[in-house]
Amino acid sequence: MEKIIGETKKAFITGNEAVAWAALAAGADSMFGYPITPQNEVMHYWTRISPQYSRSFLQTEDEISAGFTVCGAVQSGKKSFTATAGPGNVLMQEPFGMAEAMRLPLVAIIQQRGGPSSGTVIYSQQEVTLTAYGGNGEGHRIVYSTSTHQEIYDYTIKAFNTAWKYRFPVFVLGDGYQAKMREPLEMYDPEDKGIEMITPYPLIGLGGKIGVDREPAHFCNIYSMEEELYDVVMQFEQDYEAMSRDVIEYREFFCEDADIIILAHGVVSRAAEDAVLILRDMGIKAGFFRPITLRPFPGQQLRDMLSQVKPQKILVAESAMGQFAKLVKNEIYGENIPLETLFKPGMGIIDHDIVEKVRSIF
Amino acid sequence: MSLVRIALAGEGGQGVQAIAEILAEAAYHEGKQTIYIPNFGIEQRGGVSIAFLQVSDQKIGAPKFYKADVIIALSERAVARTAMYSDENTLFVHDSGFDPSPEDLPPVSKQVLGLPAIEIANTKLHTKVFNIIIMGAVIGLTNVVTFESAREALEHKLASKFENDPRLRELNMQALEIGKKMAEESLWEGVEHNA
Repeated sequence: MEKIIGETKKAFITGNEAVAWAALAAGADSMFGYPITPQNEVMHYWTRISPQYSRSFLQTEDEISAGFTVCGAVQSGKKSFTATAGPGNVLMQEPFGMAEAMRLPLVAIIQQRGGPSSGTVIYSQQEVTLTAYGGNGEGHRIVYSTSTHQEIYDYTIKAFNTAWKYRFPVFVLGDGYQAKMREPLEMYDPEDKGIEMITPYPLIGLGGKIGVDREPAHFCNIYSMEEELYDVVMQFEQDYEAMSRDVIEYREFFCEDADIIILAHGVVSRAAEDAVLILRDMGIKAGFFRPITLRPFPGQQLRDMLSQVKPQKILVAESAMGQFAKLVKNEIYGENIPLETLFKPGMGIIDHDIVEKVRSIF
Repeated sequence: MSLVRIALAGEGGQGVQAIAEILAEAAYHEGKQTIYIPNFGIEQRGGVSIAFLQVSDQKIGAPKFYKADVIIALSERAVARTAMYSDENTLFVHDSGFDPSPEDLPPVSKQVLGLPAIEIANTKLHTKVFNIIIMGAVIGLTNVVTFESAREALEHKLASKFENDPRLRELNMQALEIGKKMAEESLWEGVEHNA
């Protein structure tokens, strides 16, 4: 595969720029998009650097079209992706649903902004439900929630492999802070880290005679009978469950002896980790659990940890009014641990907020 | 160096994002940990623009902060907009070309300082290096990066402009130096004043 980065190097760039470089390094052929803050610079950087490597870009007439164009491009065997945010993410749910229905290796970068509606152009964690379970389906999607520029780079590369391996749409869920801020990261070509990139393959227009040389390539998003659809969705569910073991990622930090477990995801995990250290200095045994994949959710891993550690309390912290907490509660139903919350919809959360909250409930 | 948190605020177009970016670059090249995040509204032009900059020797957690060590507000609206980021440890700096109204100033701060950056830019240098004076002032107030690495980062950022017009290099470097000195002197005066 074409080397993009060359020698592994340190860089000091925005998250959006990191996405563009990672997509190039991952061998993405094309991006289809429509402008919306705070993801615009993903497009800007892609359009600036991709022509040097003969990759392509098309700005479509809206987000619905951008999403469907990715659906088309991947069927022709091209690694393609899009990036969006907020109301753009809302509009893209229809093509994302098609990608679920047709099992297309679509990759989308979501840089969450404030909502509802146009909300703010700045930051939130309010697109969790939308990204994980949007559309009129069952949320057969893979969602990586990143917290640093290094993770944005790493998981953008990984997203392409996960998509082309398991054929579920894959999302890298960032936010406006991660999109716009500058911080250091290491950029590399995947093979230099021992990562083998999956070569994309056409899904349609294949050679040979149908029924003789091969099965028909049948990509369907509508069925005549409810039994047909039922069988298809149940098969998806089975495939989804089967791949979950390999795809689930999470991080534990000082959980072993914790009296209180802080649950956070994405950029808020940074504040949560710092809060754990501050609280430990104060003599409060705090620990931290972070799902990196929000879909599939590390539910069993969380349950196992809780039953082993037996904390007195759980605190869920997020920049939304409980979208992440709903995922958590759903997974730990039946556990008998009091659950406290720190919800700041559309607002950043810093270590101080979490420390104060823990002190107020402990 | 422990964590230093700086908020730079001005009218859109005054160049606060540009200097925050250059300062962050300089810190990065010094091997420090740094995060720079722009706060931007929905205006295409104008409006108050704030740059949040953090520099430290240690890994930095949350990209945002509530209370800054230093705030520099370059317009009256910017004073009102950034007052909430001030607490008893904050050095609150505004341009002395205007007198901020008392209700706009932060209720709590360590010190409020006026710097004649706009005046000096207009009378001694050039209006377009106003933000570089402020960049120098940030260094004078915080030592967040060395003067030398700030010069290098500035050189790097404006390389093509300097190539087209070498006089610009002189002008920018002068502005950086004047800003730094102005801030250092004001701090001393402030100390005397307090004493």
